[in-house]
Amino acid sequence: MADAPARRFLFEGKARASAPNETLLTALAEDGLPLVQRSIRYHRPRGPMCGAGYCTGCLVRVNGRPNVRACRYVPAESDVVTTENSWLSPRFDVYGVFDFLFPGGIDTLHGFRRPAWATPWYHRVIRRLAGYGEPPDPAAATVATPPPLRRSVDVAVVGGGTSGRAAAARLLSHGLRPWVLDRRLSLPSVPDVEVAPATTVSFLPPRDPAQSSGFTLLGYEEPNRGVSISARTVVVATGSYDGSLLFAGNDRPGVLTGDGALALAPPGRRPPFHHAVLVGSDARADFLLGQLADHVDAIVAPGAIPPQLARHASEEEVPLFPRTLLVRASGRRRVRSVDLRARGSGAVFSLDCDAVILAHRRLPTPQLFFQAGAKMEWRAGTGAYYPVVTDAGETSVPGLFAVGSAAGVTPAGSAASGERAADAIAGRPSSDTSPLARVVRDGPSELEGYYRELWRTPHSGKWVACPCEDVLLSEVEEAHARGYRGIEVIKRYTGLGTGLCQGRFCLPDALLVLAMLEERPPSEVGYITQRPPVVPTPLAALGALDQPAAPTGVP
Amino acid sequence: MTTLARSSYRAVVVGAGILGLYTAVQLARAGAGPVLIVDRGFLSSGASGRNGGGVRQQWETRATVRLARESVAAYRRFGREFGYNPWFRQGGYLFLAENERDLAHLKTVHDVVTSEGLPSRLLDPDGVARLLPGIAPGAAIGGTYLASDGTLYPFPAVWGVYEAALRLGVEVALGVEAQSVEVVEGRIRAVATSAGRVETGSVVNAAGGWSAEFARRAGLTIPNTPTRHEILATEPMKPFLDPMVARTSDGLYFSQTMRGELVGGLAPRAGHGAADGSRSSPEFLTQMARALTGLLPRLGGLGVLRAWSGYYDDTPDGFPVIGDDPRLPGFVQANGFGGHGFMLAPAASVRVARAVLGEKVDLDPAIFSPARFLTTDRTVPPESLLLG
Repeated sequence: MADAPARRFLFEGKARASAPNETLLTALAEDGLPLVQRSIRYHRPRGPMCGAGYCTGCLVRVNGRPNVRACRYVPAESDVVTTENSWLSPRFDVYGVFDFLFPGGIDTLHGFRRPAWATPWYHRVIRRLAGYGEPPDPAAATVATPPPLRRSVDVAVVGGGTSGRAAAARLLSHGLRPWVLDRRLSLPSVPDVEVAPATTVSFLPPRDPAQSSGFTLLGYEEPNRGVSISARTVVVATGSYDGSLLFAGNDRPGVLTGDGALALAPPGRRPPFHHAVLVGSDARADFLLGQLADHVDAIVAPGAIPPQLARHASEEEVPLFPRTLLVRASGRRRVRSVDLRARGSGAVFSLDCDAVILAHRRLPTPQLFFQAGAKMEWRAGTGAYYPVVTDAGETSVPGLFAVGSAAGVTPAGSAASGERAADAIAGRPSSDTSPLARVVRDGPSELEGYYRELWRTPHSGKWVACPCEDVLLSEVEEAHARGYRGIEVIKRYTGLGTGLCQGRFCLPDALLVLAMLEERPPSEVGYITQRPPVVPTPLAALGALDQPAAPTGVP
Repeated sequence: MTTLARSSYRAVVVGAGILGLYTAVQLARAGAGPVLIVDRGFLSSGASGRNGGGVRQQWETRATVRLARESVAAYRRFGREFGYNPWFRQGGYLFLAENERDLAHLKTVHDVVTSEGLPSRLLDPDGVARLLPGIAPGAAIGGTYLASDGTLYPFPAVWGVYEAALRLGVEVALGVEAQSVEVVEGRIRAVATSAGRVETGSVVNAAGGWSAEFARRAGLTIPNTPTRHEILATEPMKPFLDPMVARTSDGLYFSQTMRGELVGGLAPRAGHGAADGSRSSPEFLTQMARALTGLLPRLGGLGVLRAWSGYYDDTPDGFPVIGDDPRLPGFVQANGFGGHGFMLAPAASVRVARAVLGEKVDLDPAIFSPARFLTTDRTVPPESLLLG
């Protein structure tokens, strides 16, 4: 691969190069942490955060098409890439003045009402500030939309991680022909199983359970090919992702999730950070320490640090800060330091750093279960919803199986959960029926106590509750103070959860905060209806699926 | 468990949508006495929190044009009246005609609208293209445009009227269901709710998509039918489209919101009702995407962000139902708005409140009264400009 010719593209008018199969994000990260975006309301500097195609930190314009995620895009020869949403550049954005002028936020619900004659001007300014990219260039429409892919299969496996691959391999050994869909750019391989590079965005169970019409899955392949699948049985193995954390300046460039840090540090590449604070204490933090040890300066954990991670950290000579609150990240265009405070004591102290890596909470990717109407349950271990499943992994929707970390199975049992589901689908129940270890269900979530204590700590600055829509935590608190209750109403009041990530990075923390404010369990605060599509899906890909055509069989 | 503050109210409003809330505010301002609103959902859980925010005055019927005109004035002053900014932006409504038949239809509307003194404009294809940059060649042979129509952001309007109602002493019981209406000797005596029985002489049926269901609980049959409509929003973009755009042939409508999202829907077709409740169907996603990219090919690379659905409360003739039900005095119908409740609520609520107070309602009974469905000799042609 190293011998393949580099791709040359233009970034902000300057010639750049990338290795084949390399993402635009890592190509841009060669010069340090890329700063290509400003936030939607306050035009705060934003850097890449999630590395998985969900957040808004790496949106760029490619060949006249807005809102392309650099972490999900492999540059083609002579691409023209520009930044969006800033006047001058993302480093020096004139609109950034609004962030300084309104330290407490802009109140668009109650503000801009007087004088009446100014209304059109308010509209003009606010509209100009909102939105990410300019509308697509008319020329961008000439990019051909490939004919859609339509399939009718016995078993669709959504997600090609450990559990999905194990399920597919076992299905094959039982003589079934699974079809695996995976949204990652570098596809996993499963011997003799076709793996399609598609993102599943809409998912419905059979209309009439009595008929074998099957599940309907809509998806798309980057950049704009529509995918439509009908499947009798579906195994959802959508895995999990690293969640975010609330603190002042939690949206600063350099605040990364574990996935984001890994996306910026592919094998053989020096990451654009060298003095990171790693937040977390479990196996995930341990894994990230193993991957990024040379670039981690400290480990901070909301709770206790288990002996295994402590040993590992001491081998790497990384200091530990167990049971510590992360109060603030400072630095404007880049995190420069964090303020920490030992839980239960008073003193706030600072650590210099150039990144914060969040690995304290591995959250399931549950959108498809919600869309399919599967029964869900709250699990306190991570503070998230998981499908209710049988031992074999079947959900309350007949024919829909949940495996791996999306189903709350801990990593050690991931492969086994996929195999058991495959056995059940093939009608050959597994001999091993010992229960799989899953995320703890009962009790309070560890972060509930953490946030309760953090609230008692004096705090100021912008806490961004919803980074996509730039909704501040103070707005959530105001909605509560005005008597609005429940996440569905708070969402409509503040706009939280209505942005590009569909709530992945705001909802889990918002539930815990609202539970604290409303003094009731998170499960009573409710949940936001998960609306399709699961990720923003090009109109062209969906439109191409409108022409009805007879599905083709499995090849 | 919600407990109600009183055991007796001057009026009980069923439905805490924009119309129910507005009506309660009108009643409280008129000094009617204690008013209770019950809603089994949460605030904005129904159509008031699910609509596309369009406010138009282009209608086929003069009476509706006048109501809409009053509503536009109300939404213009809403921010100063209620303390919340609904971002009512008068970017106009652009109706597109795909063929001569549609254009002839729009011309009739145009004549009605201009005769009411509103400066509606008839557009040729170039005029359409100026308002809708990037429209596919030949996609419209003409259209009509009224610059003072507009769009708003529904949520702040709901919060504003809700908080005004609370300030005026209206009791709003959310998560409380109106279960039945107790009738004694042809008069309303009380309403049974999931939070207990309350005495009242007046009930307002502002239950939107559930109005027929609630009327049945009062022993009344009304011809309203709930229909599920779907809607989607795209990724936010910088402003490029000022008017709300609507097409009569397939019911396509969309506008660009203050946040930059393109929000719009399509008249229901086969398959749309397939997903239950407030879910979205794959059929809608694909049909809407095709309709949008067919009209504006440049949008092909733009991402659909989310889709949702809600219920219209449709009537057989396309007109809302406003007024006292002659079969049960005190039972005031305020429903059947067919997807136009939000845009007509400010003006309609004034009439609903008058009906509750037993005052004269200045609306043509042949068009709006519930009594019109009880006779067989209808004189008013149905409203057919029902989209958007």
